[in-house]
Amino acid sequence: MFMAIANSNTLNLERVLTTLKSPAGITISASIIAAVLGAIDNGFYVIVNAIVTGGMWALVAMGLALVFGVMNVVSFVHGEFFMIGGLTAYFTFTPFSDYLMGNPNPLFEAVLPILAMVASVAAGVVVGILCELIVFRPLRNRTREQWVMNSFVITLGLSTFIVNSSQFILGTDFRGIVSYWNYPTLSFFDVYVSFDRFFVFILAMLILSAFWLFMRSSKFGRAIRAVSQDETGARMVGININGIQTLTLALSSALAALAGACLLFMYPAYPTVGLGPLYNSWFIVILAGMGNVAGAAVGAFIVALLQVLTTVYFGEGWEYTVPAACIILVLIIRPSGIFGSEVRGILNQ
Amino acid sequence: MANVQKIDNFNGFQKTLDAVCLTPLGFFGLALLAVLPFIPPFNQEYLIRWMVVGLFMAAQAVAFDFTGGYINIVNFGFAAFVGLGAYTSGILAARLGLSPWFGMFVGVLPAALVGFLTGVLTLRLRGIFAAVMAWFISLAFWGLATKLVFLTEGPLGLNCPTLLQTSSNLPYFYIIFAMFMVTYIVLRRIVRSHMGLAFKAIGQNMEAARTSGINPTRYRIINFTLSCAFAGWLGGFYAHYYGILMPDVMHTAKTIEVLVVVYIGGRASLWGGAFAAIPFVFAMEMVRSVFSQYPGLNLIFYGLFLILIMIYYPGGAAQLYQSLIERLKNPFFLRLVNGVISAPAQKKIQASGLS
Amino acid sequence: MENQLLLQVENLDSGYGFLQVLWNVSLSVAKGEYVCLVGPNGAGKSTFLKSVAGLVSPMAGRIDFSGNSISRLPGDKICRMGISYISEELNLFAGMTVQENLAMGAFTINDKRKIVENQDFVFELFPALKERRRQLAGTMSGGERKMLAIGRGLMSTPSLLLVDEPSLGLAPQTTAAVFRALDTLKQKEVTILLVEQNVTKTLQVTERGYVLEKGKIVLAGASTDLIQNEHVRKAYLGI
Repeated sequence: MFMAIANSNTLNLERVLTTLKSPAGITISASIIAAVLGAIDNGFYVIVNAIVTGGMWALVAMGLALVFGVMNVVSFVHGEFFMIGGLTAYFTFTPFSDYLMGNPNPLFEAVLPILAMVASVAAGVVVGILCELIVFRPLRNRTREQWVMNSFVITLGLSTFIVNSSQFILGTDFRGIVSYWNYPTLSFFDVYVSFDRFFVFILAMLILSAFWLFMRSSKFGRAIRAVSQDETGARMVGININGIQTLTLALSSALAALAGACLLFMYPAYPTVGLGPLYNSWFIVILAGMGNVAGAAVGAFIVALLQVLTTVYFGEGWEYTVPAACIILVLIIRPSGIFGSEVRGILNQ
Repeated sequence: MANVQKIDNFNGFQKTLDAVCLTPLGFFGLALLAVLPFIPPFNQEYLIRWMVVGLFMAAQAVAFDFTGGYINIVNFGFAAFVGLGAYTSGILAARLGLSPWFGMFVGVLPAALVGFLTGVLTLRLRGIFAAVMAWFISLAFWGLATKLVFLTEGPLGLNCPTLLQTSSNLPYFYIIFAMFMVTYIVLRRIVRSHMGLAFKAIGQNMEAARTSGINPTRYRIINFTLSCAFAGWLGGFYAHYYGILMPDVMHTAKTIEVLVVVYIGGRASLWGGAFAAIPFVFAMEMVRSVFSQYPGLNLIFYGLFLILIMIYYPGGAAQLYQSLIERLKNPFFLRLVNGVISAPAQKKIQASGLS
Repeated sequence: MENQLLLQVENLDSGYGFLQVLWNVSLSVAKGEYVCLVGPNGAGKSTFLKSVAGLVSPMAGRIDFSGNSISRLPGDKICRMGISYISEELNLFAGMTVQENLAMGAFTINDKRKIVENQDFVFELFPALKERRRQLAGTMSGGERKMLAIGRGLMSTPSLLLVDEPSLGLAPQTTAAVFRALDTLKQKEVTILLVEQNVTKTLQVTERGYVLEKGKIVLAGASTDLIQNEHVRKAYLGI
């Protein structure tokens, strides 16, 4: 529905109207109106904040939707990939950053944060592959019966294990940074945005586009979509399902780890930092429709906006209660989510 | 099990056991547990305390497995329902002076109601929706408990009157023992009734259940609500045993504790989790006291156990027990394990001409 | 046998879990042949094809393809070896366009030119697909979906095509079109193993046939002989 406008060459008024009347259209228009009203009431920073965090939540939530769509895994370990990304970035960034204090080098200063992000992506890939090889594949080989519940429980085990191992090894300290770059703040429309936030937003947009291109036109991206749409069919055309599932988990954990690295200046890494991103991305995924990857990307911005507005109007501490109320509404009105689920058989299974 | 063939010459003892759904072995085990607080070295106060915690865990495991094992829905917000009961009873006692003995039963209502509403909302969808939704609800209540300070005192903790004016753990041991037995007997009797058969059918194959005329949504809601109601009741004990309530009682980590116990004990057995609970609590308390400089080490084991059990031995202790008794030949032992739990053993007894 | 054997199945037992469906099934297909496997509903015809295609793992017996044992290989490896399986459920990618589905069919081919060539061949075979190449597979009619499934199966340049119930649920006209397409393929020397319930039609077009009943092969022979066979005439042709 949402894509209908983008795809049609001629802007047909009737089509625009039907799109607007669809649940997706209503939600998106309502969010835009809410954003505008919020901005008028509280200043433009509402929109800027929503967009900056929304981009990162999109990366996390897309990975979650992907894992659900392709592997049929309801993942509760996704937040831990976020934490691992944050930790990797911290341990890559801070030692060199300290070194740079004594020996200034502008070029290295500019490149170092990017190196930290690359390192965290690599860490995400490695952890994702390990999880697939050590945990999911043995479970899949043993039985496919009641896979959704079993794999869900196993992700709980993984999450508990990773969180507490991290606490055991590194303690409960907050490992954060003030900023990646010490560049002057940028200003748009009277709103001051740090260079970090600006960079993170641009990066998120770049990755979203690259990801979209990858899924649409690359051979392996298509294979990922094929597996999520029909696993038997995918096997019939010669796709190695195990390989695709490993790729999917690696990709999704890399995205989450990258988000963890990028947001290190907002969310310092500590053992249970993953709970927030996990919660957000599940909120997004249910709101947008289970397994709908494109929907998750759009839903992320709506959720980010909702969070910013919640904090503005309700204050801190309600961040768990308001989303739950929204989810209840979604489940009552439209269980398949506002953009529709791509996973068959949402009802009655 | 409905296909249990009743043995004709049941004596009175066996009939009583059958009514409370125990095998002779189970009965002797429980009898031993009942006198354990008087047997050294278990008569030490801190060990009795561990046993109270263990029995509380066991009762929770039974209520959890009733949903997770039978209709195959993991109630990932289980702790919130325990917490709802605890807070209701605790607040009523602390603010209005209601007797905790009565409050415990009042605590059942909100837990059952929220459970029922969650069920109505999600149980017509795929099972995983209920699991995720229950998690959302648990975090929402956790947030509320933290935020509604005027009611709950937030993270500082709500002081609730205890059930008894004693510092001894022994009376509590027998209270939670009784509560555990009630939970077990009620849920076990449901499980082996006609309704229990429907639960199992739904848990194993939803489509097949539907074609045989079962309305899955209705049975799932009944099951989920019942499980939540028991969770609320047990929460009342928690509030008035510890005497202080913090929002963390609703935290996901608490749910995971119960979940690990149930999976180690064996799903869809009811007794498996209960059986595993006390040894598990003892082991974890020991890990905690030996490695006290490393908090959270026991949680690493939780995660590890869960992963290993899921992959390599999904039936848990109950499956191990089942495979052991199937190999039994000795008539004495067969009689010992013969009961509602093991239909094959009963067949063997009949085949051996003992009855 | 003068022709080279492409597929040779010997004493195959197969089924799902504890449920055995096939007992001691032996069957062979030579290069360039058009062979059918007919039988009543529930005889195990689909299970046989799934076992060959690697979607069901056999319990016992041998499956050889071009002289290599494939009975333990997973489905994707078997596809790579040159067997295309067109299932009864079609297993199309509903959220992809016709063109994308075809491209997925050529997943195992890296040569771009070859892909274009195959696609042209499919479009020639089923011109309807060419018109609808931007349509989502999930939104097409039953006949079109069947054509797309066959087309997708052809995209990997298979040396053996396993087709499961192509006429199931189709209007007579569409069925005819599908059979015409299979005929064309036969002329292009594609080896086909066809599973059908429509016995009359099938025996008319194929060269050789096997009759599968209750999981066992009960008859085998040239299609022209089978159509004369007493048992076949009674049981399937209603004569």
